[in-house]
Amino acid sequence: MGSGPNRERPCDAGLLIGKVVSDAPGEDATAALAHADALYRLALHLARDPSDAQDLVQETFTRALRAWGGFAGGTDLRAWLLRILRNTFLDRERHARRHPVEGDFDEEGHGSSLASDAWLRGDREPEQLRGLVADDVGAALRELPEAARTLILLDQDGLSEAELALVLGCAVGTVKSRLWRARARLRERLADYRK
Amino acid sequence: MDCGDLRIQLLDLSRHRLPRGLGDESGRHLEGCPACQRALEVEGALDDLLERTVARPSAPPELRERLSGLASAPASTRARLPPTTRPWRRAAVPALAVGLALALAGLLVDRRLGDAARAEALFTDELVNDHLRVLAGQRPAEVESGGSHQVKPWFEGRLDFAPEVPSPAVADLQLRGGAVGYVLDRRAAVLQYTLRLHRLTLLVVRAEGLPWPAGPARVTGARGFQVLRWRAGELGYALVSDVGGADLAGVADSFQAVTGR
Repeated sequence: MGSGPNRERPCDAGLLIGKVVSDAPGEDATAALAHADALYRLALHLARDPSDAQDLVQETFTRALRAWGGFAGGTDLRAWLLRILRNTFLDRERHARRHPVEGDFDEEGHGSSLASDAWLRGDREPEQLRGLVADDVGAALRELPEAARTLILLDQDGLSEAELALVLGCAVGTVKSRLWRARARLRERLADYRK
Repeated sequence: MDCGDLRIQLLDLSRHRLPRGLGDESGRHLEGCPACQRALEVEGALDDLLERTVARPSAPPELRERLSGLASAPASTRARLPPTTRPWRRAAVPALAVGLALALAGLLVDRRLGDAARAEALFTDELVNDHLRVLAGQRPAEVESGGSHQVKPWFEGRLDFAPEVPSPAVADLQLRGGAVGYVLDRRAAVLQYTLRLHRLTLLVVRAEGLPWPAGPARVTGARGFQVLRWRAGELGYALVSDVGGADLAGVADSFQAVTGR
């Protein structure tokens, strides 16, 4: 496991992992089953294939259970499992080299900066957004870099910014700006589908 | 506060989770800024769109069954699960000790009572546990496979029998390696295969005293895994995986062509 080049800022990932470990559950590993749906949803969006998604979740469980013995507590179990799942997926992708390594989606010079007005896309944007359908959104999401897609989907799945920070290994403030940029990038993509 | 300061707060503002002071300040800016009012509306519309269009499927039942099987593995096994370079056998043997005593006692009692069905269920459960230990070990192979011609000789001197090591004869099936382990009270050849992204474990043991089918391979299941067992002379073979029934039967057929049945 681990983050890849250009994928994440190193920030305080080690401290974050340490916090998760100290909060994780004890002997009863069946507690992890409560998060099977959340894991499967993220896996499905990352792997884009139901069979691959199931394998990814199963491997996540295997990795988590192997490390289970050193844990106690349980408050951040979902974020910890999702972090393992994402890292497992990234490991697989790098190993298989099925896709080129994606650059960090909030690199400088990539548009949608906080200082620009690129996020204002006309008076009709809210109305246009309401007219889009699932296929449009799915296609636009697939065009996003993995980190942006993951952020948007986990945010939509109800994770707090603190939990997102644990999943991605970043500070909460970084998550806030990344999420803003990810959503701005999604709106850029959705502009192609708006009529 | 200007537009640039507010933009990054818009999502929190639209979800009503800004701290009171910051919220008040943002509200004052919004009152005099039509552009930010529109941007706030866009954030809300994007949330609505995602809520309406992004599917939120549940984990399929068969996946839940498999996860349940993994999660219910003995804690002692989890605690002893090794780093990836540690041989499978060292972790598995101690973990098997308690289960072995209970399961073997159960098998003996059941045989005495003539309860063949219960003995078979216990045996199936133990074979699935063996497969789970292989899965959890991640890199359990003590001999990495370059093919059956490498793996089969490796067992010489490590077991008091010579297991057949079937070469893959099914598309996408690959032999990954082998190890020596235990099934209940006896040493076993543990052969690991993959079929696409699925993993399969073929366990080979001396057959005597265990419930093997008299004829063709017998299929049983536990916790979402399938087990195909057959006997060939003095040896018993058990193939365990989460692979679908037809695929697993095809693999078993190809193995039986080598091992006999």
